[in-house]
Amino acid sequence: MIKVQNLRKVYKVGDEKVVALNNISLEIPDGEFCCIVGTSGSGKSTLLNQLAGLEKPTKGKVSINGKLISKMTEKELAKFRQESIGFIFQSYNLMPTLTAVENVAFPLMFAGVGKKEREKRAAKMLDQMGLGHRKNHKPGEMSGGQQQRVGIARAFVGRPSVIFADEPTGNLDSATTESVMEMLIDISAKNNITFVMVTHDPELAKKAKRVITLKDGKVIADTRDGVSLMEEDLAIAKEDSDADKNKNTDETIKSEKNAEKTVASEKLEENNER
Amino acid sequence: MKISDLLRLSFNNLKRRKGRTFLTVLGVVIGTCSIVLMVSIGVALEKSYDEMLQGWGDLTAIEVYKYGSSTDNDVKLTDAVVDSFLELPNVTVATPVYSPSVSLQVVSGNNDKYQAYAQIKAMRKSAIEAYGYEIVEGTMPSEHEKSFTVLFGEDYAYEFQNTKKKNNNYVSKYDVDADGNPPDPFVDPMHDKFYIVAKGWEEDSKEYRVQLNVSGRVKGDYSKGYETVYGMIMDIEDVIAIEKEYNKLNNIKTDKNKERTYTDAIVKVNDMKNVEDVERAIKAMGFETYSMSSTRDELKKETRIIEMILGGLGGIAMLVSAISIANTMTMAIYERTKEIGVMKVLGCELRDIKNMFLSEAAFIGFLGGATGLAISLAISKLLNTIAGSMMGGTKMSVIPPWLAIFSLCFATLVGIISGYIPAVRAVKITALSAIRHE
Repeated sequence: MIKVQNLRKVYKVGDEKVVALNNISLEIPDGEFCCIVGTSGSGKSTLLNQLAGLEKPTKGKVSINGKLISKMTEKELAKFRQESIGFIFQSYNLMPTLTAVENVAFPLMFAGVGKKEREKRAAKMLDQMGLGHRKNHKPGEMSGGQQQRVGIARAFVGRPSVIFADEPTGNLDSATTESVMEMLIDISAKNNITFVMVTHDPELAKKAKRVITLKDGKVIADTRDGVSLMEEDLAIAKEDSDADKNKNTDETIKSEKNAEKTVASEKLEENNER
Repeated sequence: MKISDLLRLSFNNLKRRKGRTFLTVLGVVIGTCSIVLMVSIGVALEKSYDEMLQGWGDLTAIEVYKYGSSTDNDVKLTDAVVDSFLELPNVTVATPVYSPSVSLQVVSGNNDKYQAYAQIKAMRKSAIEAYGYEIVEGTMPSEHEKSFTVLFGEDYAYEFQNTKKKNNNYVSKYDVDADGNPPDPFVDPMHDKFYIVAKGWEEDSKEYRVQLNVSGRVKGDYSKGYETVYGMIMDIEDVIAIEKEYNKLNNIKTDKNKERTYTDAIVKVNDMKNVEDVERAIKAMGFETYSMSSTRDELKKETRIIEMILGGLGGIAMLVSAISIANTMTMAIYERTKEIGVMKVLGCELRDIKNMFLSEAAFIGFLGGATGLAISLAISKLLNTIAGSMMGGTKMSVIPPWLAIFSLCFATLVGIISGYIPAVRAVKITALSAIRHE
């Protein structure tokens, strides 16, 4: 499970401070396929970087499987990435001098797996991806879709518990996007892998079970199978369903108070930063 | 990460940029060559000095002399004084050296047919044994041997001339036959009878002769004296006895009460490094000394300086190549920033990234060192061939094993040191660089 608590990321640009992520809290349970959607500048990529531990948050906590990755050292992170995390890049980022098999086996090399063993596992992975005939080709000899499938195989080969993907279909045409997306959902489900991807395309995001929409560093929508998970929405939904039975005004007052509280604490935080 | 994988990765990275790797390696090759060749010339110089000195004399021997003592109070080289040299620490042999005042000949055969000038090294019997002569034939004369027992020099037999013939009265050792064997000399040291003959220059002087007992032949070694080749080694008492008998025979008067003094003595020390101390002690007693070793030290100091200058010149080329390695590695890091980021995201540990760059740099160094060494060996051989034909046998460049091993290690080390800062920089590249789109 991925757990995010009061996550905040502020970048300094010159003398100015830009708040990229503003007090985000969310939970992604094991095995869920999750899309983070937003326009450019919404903070979606920043969120992914925080989740994957590529960047340290300004404030707040990120934990994966109970391990607080936002506090890990570089050394601990490397080990954790070897064991539990896969990553898919928008621009594939394959090693140009290595063949497909070697590329897929690359992360296993860092984990100290022997050449024979890791290439066997990589070959098997490529077979699953339907790239069995391309094993000994170098990235330059493959199409974008094929390269990305190699990239996907590389993310899955270490049997991670979580895979992060940064616009994995961003450089692909629509037909290839479709097939790659289906493949990702399929393999993740089969292996019970938590999959978190970032995309700017709301249509594509609809294929995911969980969709988190970001705007200006805040979560503006969070749905699972189309049902909102936002507290106020839940409250409204509950209100609607309860409306006929009895009008409980206490609840509304409570939530309003909560909202006030968060605003107050936010102001405090900002003061602290200064 | 396994070491084999690390090395393979580094090697592939170098292979990827063949042109640049080649040029960087070339720099190291030139650096290595210049160091190795410069030092090899220094080593050759030192070696040739050593050989030259060895030909001149024994490095553990000290000559002691006292010429022209004007007053009676002055120290003199007497037997007692020579004995006192033996008391000094580390001294193994001390003996006076005596040059007879009468002309001596060694003769052999019917009617003294074969004759040779008696080139004698006269020293104490005990010293002959301790001096370290090697015997090629026969035995060393023992302490209790009868008088007039001598050792012949290795080629002394070739010194004998046939006095009954006008021409062709010499046998040369170097007139070898078809099989390369030298001819037999006129005399056979171990079987023929030899006499030593003392005779003055005047026509009417009476000669004194005594039979010699040749116990053996010593190996020729110029460092131990010319006599070991073309002369003979004899007990000092025997030489003095011959002189005495001759003087008696010819009524030459000598002062019998006067204590015997010598002009020269030889002192041998157990090790070259103790020569200096013993020399100082003898000088303190009021004698003058001379040793090959002190000359050698002076020459050594000079060659050391020459070696250092030569090595320094080579070092400059190596420094330039170190800078070029650092430059190449820094370039590689700029180019591979994204790649390093990706590796980090994929779980590559910091230490592996560092080691990858260090081993790339080390590999450049090693490859350059090995190639440079190979080229140096070839150039060294060429130099020696040219020098050999021009200067007759002297080597101009010598690459001893330590120099070969040192050059390989040094080149690799230069690679690692120049690669260190770039490697540390590579480690600092963030995983985020993998995501940034350029």
